[in-house]
Amino acid sequence: MSHGHVVVIGGGGTGAAIIHDLIQRGFTATLVERGELTSGTTGRHHGQLHSGARYAVGDREIARECMEEVRILQAIAPQALEMNYGLFVALTDEDVAFAPEFIQACREATIPVREIPLDQAFRMEPHLNPEIKMALQVPDGTIDAWRLPLHFFATARAAGADIRTFTEVVGIHSRAGAVTGVRVLNHATQEESDIAADLVVSATGAWAEKVAALAGIHIPVTPAPGTMVAVKKRLNNMVVSHLHPAGDGDIIVPQRGLSIIGSTQWKTDDPDTVEVPRADIDYLTRRATELMPVFGETPFHAAWSASRPLAGASSNVEDGRKLSRDFIAIDHGRSDGVKGFISIIGGKATVLRAMGEKTVDLICDLVGVQEPCRTAETPLLQHRAFYNPHLVTKGAAS
Amino acid sequence: MSDSPQNDSRHNDQPQEFQTLSGEPVRMVRFRIARPQREEQWGQYVVPVKGHTTLVDALEWIKSNIDLTLMFRHSCHHGSCGTCGMIVNNKQALACTTRVMDLVEEAEAAGEDRKSFAIEVRPLQTMDHLGDLAVDPARLFRDFPVDADYLRPSEANKGSEVPGEITGYQRFENCIECGLCVSSCPVVTMRDFMGPAGLAAYNREVTKHPERSGELLPRVDSDRGVWGCDRHLACSQVCPTGVYPAKHIVQLQKKIKKTKQESGQE
Ligand SMILES: Cc1cc2nc3c(=O)[nH]c(=O)nc-3n(C[C@H](O)[C@H](O)[C@H](O)COP(=O)(O)OP(=O)(O)OC[C@H]3O[C@@H](n4cnc5c(N)ncnc54)[C@H](O)[C@@H]3O)c2cc1C
Ligand code: SF4
Ligand code: FES
Repeated sequence: MSHGHVVVIGGGGTGAAIIHDLIQRGFTATLVERGELTSGTTGRHHGQLHSGARYAVGDREIARECMEEVRILQAIAPQALEMNYGLFVALTDEDVAFAPEFIQACREATIPVREIPLDQAFRMEPHLNPEIKMALQVPDGTIDAWRLPLHFFATARAAGADIRTFTEVVGIHSRAGAVTGVRVLNHATQEESDIAADLVVSATGAWAEKVAALAGIHIPVTPAPGTMVAVKKRLNNMVVSHLHPAGDGDIIVPQRGLSIIGSTQWKTDDPDTVEVPRADIDYLTRRATELMPVFGETPFHAAWSASRPLAGASSNVEDGRKLSRDFIAIDHGRSDGVKGFISIIGGKATVLRAMGEKTVDLICDLVGVQEPCRTAETPLLQHRAFYNPHLVTKGAAS
Repeated sequence: MSDSPQNDSRHNDQPQEFQTLSGEPVRMVRFRIARPQREEQWGQYVVPVKGHTTLVDALEWIKSNIDLTLMFRHSCHHGSCGTCGMIVNNKQALACTTRVMDLVEEAEAAGEDRKSFAIEVRPLQTMDHLGDLAVDPARLFRDFPVDADYLRPSEANKGSEVPGEITGYQRFENCIECGLCVSSCPVVTMRDFMGPAGLAAYNREVTKHPERSGELLPRVDSDRGVWGCDRHLACSQVCPTGVYPAKHIVQLQKKIKKTKQESGQE
């Protein structure tokens, strides 16, 4: 018997992990995405599988969670990751002076970090700036931004999840202070219809403010886009980062035959009208050239941007921060008087599974169900299975 | 939803070319977009385009400024996910790595009239149509070994030193499963044929895992499999990532022949 029917709004990585976890814990669920899956922020992110090293100095807890998720994803979705490790390289004496604090923070966050002799670092990465002063190795990697979430969607779908693309939520219904369902517009037929729900989860990232407004709720979310630039050559085997307090344009993530520098951050009103600023392309190329001088001479491949959701100050956002330091889970029943409606904002692609787990824990609490999370131990179906669940033969998940 | 999905009437009052305040040149470019499920069949839109604007950027502009329900698939915006395949001016292409100004320059070089010129965009053929430019790739994946590895060992393993924690550098396959090859293949449009992308994937999988040959080779040893290829080579020409599927089909044919010889079947 189902614990209830949940409608998940948003087909990014967060929605993917939530619907998989919901189905595993005995809910029935429908996910609606207004475009193709991962056409929001998820598909366009930088593609770094974060060991957590980048965050360790600032926040050990977030870093520890990244490391844990890297280990889990390697076990449940190995084909969606290029697990090639990463190097943090020091360009200046100041960077070298930062190293002890960085190493200490990584260790406290359980991230294995070690110094690599420079000659060895150049044998790993021949294109590194010959002037680098130090190289530290951490277990970073590359995510296939589309195929990792598709592993979750495929597994959920094979287990009965209803996943609908090109289906936009245009209304959220409630009665007597509790949600009863959503109204959706099917882009293909141009027809509107209702989907009944016991609970509605908005996993709409930079669009969360707009979606919450459909339920008459205000969450202050500013879309903060960042740009990435790819060149047409695989210059590095591993992720190469600048060893310094995290900033703009300090990571080169390689993937297939590309090398990608990112990112920047600015603010906008509307996540739908994001354009790549020409100045960002020049800036990022310059920063990449500091890490690997050949970057600037390599043919340009693409420049694009993706929006982070920056949550502003409000009582519901403050409430929502308690579940995790990295993302916000707002129970609108508690903070805004609309029971059964939850918004999930923030996080990282790397920790999508953990976001799903915490969200579904919250849902289980709300409906009084005791079902442990099993997603960390369940191998996922591969991305292609999403399209033909009946053809799956090997590595099938229960 | 807009009442009229066309913004073509604005076209005549607007300058064709201008500069932004920061001095970046902008060009107004006309698009003709297939909307087969709609009454009007085609939508005409005029979009401001800069030097680095891609076709996917232009489609997003139309979506957010004119019709929020314009359907097209996109995800990564840098040629890695394979969702944004379309037919652009009669050629299969990825929308996200197609620079609009390249198409404009091409048209100008071909002597097209500046005023009436439009970039024509249609959905990929040979796949089920979802709406506007969006297709369902289920048809493509039906003929893939669905559980094949997506990782491969990197060619860099030969020359470079590898971290002690791993046995070698890995890479995702170059095939981004975009289906451009399948959409361009004349055989796929004529008869039941597994198509270049799937056959290439079979070849990669048996190359990586020879132990799976006994299971996988029989699945492609047929007229809808490797023997259906007429060597038009359109697949290898349109492939955006240099997979050369036609080469994989030949290799697969050789593997099948060799297996049969060894087992005395031929
Ligand atoms: C520049 C940049 C670089 C990044 N790099 C990395 C990285 O290297 N590694 C990493 O781990 N993380 C990275 N991240 C973070 C990561 O991308 C995000 O945390 C993650 O993708 C968020 O996923 P999401 O599902 O919450 O949001 P989204 O992917 O944005 O999903 C929300 C979805 O909701 C849909 N939607 C909106 N409104 C509606 C509606 N009304 N009806 C139906 N659907 C709707 C949207 O179309 C969208 O698909 C990066 C982020 C940015 C901005
Ligand atoms: S072989 Fe090339 S064209 Fe065909 S699906 Fe793969 S990447 Fe696309
Ligand atoms: S959007 Fe991913 S290949 Fe074009």
